[in-house]
Amino acid sequence: MAEKNNSIGRLIITLTVIGALGALFLAGVYEWTIPHILEHEARARERAIMEVLPEADYYEEVTHNDQIFYEGYDENDNFVGVAVSLRGGGYAGEIEIMIGTDPEAREIINIFILNHQETPGLGARITEEQFRENFENAPFSELEIVRRTPEEPQEIEAIAGATMSVEAVKNIVSRVGDIVSEYYGGGS
Amino acid sequence: MAEYFAIFKNGLWNENPIFKLIIGLCPTLAVTNTVVNGFAMGLATGFVLISSEIVISLIKKFIPNDVRIPSFILIIVTFVTFTDYFLGAFFPDIADALALFIPLIVVNCLILGRQEAFASRNSTRRAIFDAVGMTVGFTWVLVLLSAIRELFGFGTLAGIDILGAGYTDMIIMILPGGAFLTLGVLVGVLNLLDRKVGSDNG
Amino acid sequence: MDSLQYLLLLFISTVLINNFVLIQFLGICPFLGVSRYVETAFSMGLAATFVMTMTAFATYFINTFILEALNLEFLRYMSFIIVIASLVQFVEMFIKKVSPVLYKALGIYLPLITTNCAIMGMALLIPMNDYNFIESIIFGFGAGVGFTLAIVLIAGLREEAQYGDVPRDLKGMPITLILAGLMALAFMGFAGLAVV
Repeated sequence: MAEKNNSIGRLIITLTVIGALGALFLAGVYEWTIPHILEHEARARERAIMEVLPEADYYEEVTHNDQIFYEGYDENDNFVGVAVSLRGGGYAGEIEIMIGTDPEAREIINIFILNHQETPGLGARITEEQFRENFENAPFSELEIVRRTPEEPQEIEAIAGATMSVEAVKNIVSRVGDIVSEYYGGGS
Repeated sequence: MAEYFAIFKNGLWNENPIFKLIIGLCPTLAVTNTVVNGFAMGLATGFVLISSEIVISLIKKFIPNDVRIPSFILIIVTFVTFTDYFLGAFFPDIADALALFIPLIVVNCLILGRQEAFASRNSTRRAIFDAVGMTVGFTWVLVLLSAIRELFGFGTLAGIDILGAGYTDMIIMILPGGAFLTLGVLVGVLNLLDRKVGSDNG
Repeated sequence: MDSLQYLLLLFISTVLINNFVLIQFLGICPFLGVSRYVETAFSMGLAATFVMTMTAFATYFINTFILEALNLEFLRYMSFIIVIASLVQFVEMFIKKVSPVLYKALGIYLPLITTNCAIMGMALLIPMNDYNFIESIIFGFGAGVGFTLAIVLIAGLREEAQYGDVPRDLKGMPITLILAGLMALAFMGFAGLAVV
């Protein structure tokens, strides 16, 4: 360590130089990595959209009033459904869900959990196929959580030990009906 | 060479960051629910530790004593941000699993502690051996802890089914409480080993 | 969403349900290091709560009006750590001047706070959770209260454990970790209180 020359000027210069070099280096890192990061995000989103709109061949992004809608079309350019990504509070943090819907039938086609921070082994089971199947063909209305095998389409089977996470998913998915019906008014 | 090997070995046991120095525990507890996460965290922390020890031991002559700590932190935070973007770009799954705990490497006392205790007063070559030893010492405890938790919590190791389908997962091992309990018992066992076997070690 | 009820729920959730130390594993170092006596633990908690509330305030502005406005997100960690370190320094000088008594009580803990990952973690969670200004302040304050609660409780247990017949190799850190584990299990019971 340099003991002499500890003038205020030298202290400030040292810190500024280190900070500036660090910032410069990070600016380069950012330029280098950000295309990859954005690409991963886009690919994850695309996979989710294809998952929740299984009949779609391609999709188009449409923005209504700040909400992005992903309109799915099959190979003959027929409209097969619309997906939206909604977020809401879960047990441990925010949950982000891609929800595919059929506005004509006023039904949910499927859901896909994009992001969550739920407890592994408990709340995290919301990402499992078995849980997501609950939402297939669920109607555009308030959904219900039941502690048995679901019999009605609006019923969602609870996961033991993950009451809060299931409740959170249900609340987020229940919002989709109103949002989609507003712009895709089918079925009325 | 023997001298360098002694520095390296130091981190493995005698001054093991986790169970001897008891530092860097936040990530130790938080991300050790699966072996893959524990190992990745060890490597990410190790990368930051090694690079900052190298840089700091190289430029130690130019840093005035009064702003030593802020300078160290600035250098560490640069490498942490790099790690965060690098993992996000090339290993997105690992980045998602470790999430908040990658940026928190900045405040891992292990890293700042080694700069202050070692890199700032030793040659670059010695600093590299110290950093690598500490990294291996940190990583092996993380991997051991996460192996215990994953095995009993999910019945798997690194995602491979070990205990079979008939095994009932002990969710408590994955939950926060299980993390504290497992680490507490593990540190106790390692202390016992140290007392019985390690007397010749120092 | 800014109703009083929502903010109260956010506060309770931050203090109890998502307790920083016991559930989110933030701030473990001071939690284990400065929890030998209830009195010092309380002082540490107080200092941390103060710095956390101030940090929430400062990082919200920096994140919203500088980093996001100018597209400088890659400097987020650097600017946050600078803010925290300077805040701690500033608080130290301020307390020293205004209340020497308080300074004597908190003094030695203040520098430790810079490397308290609960503070950095809280600062990072604010942009991650998209909290607005009021939410950020409540979150920062709640995180501090939760930290204080956890560290004072564990200090109380440790004072008792000193007189217990603890196996030789579990003395010190291991038994403290086990006590913390039992506390974490107890805190999980708060999970049913609220969904935010």
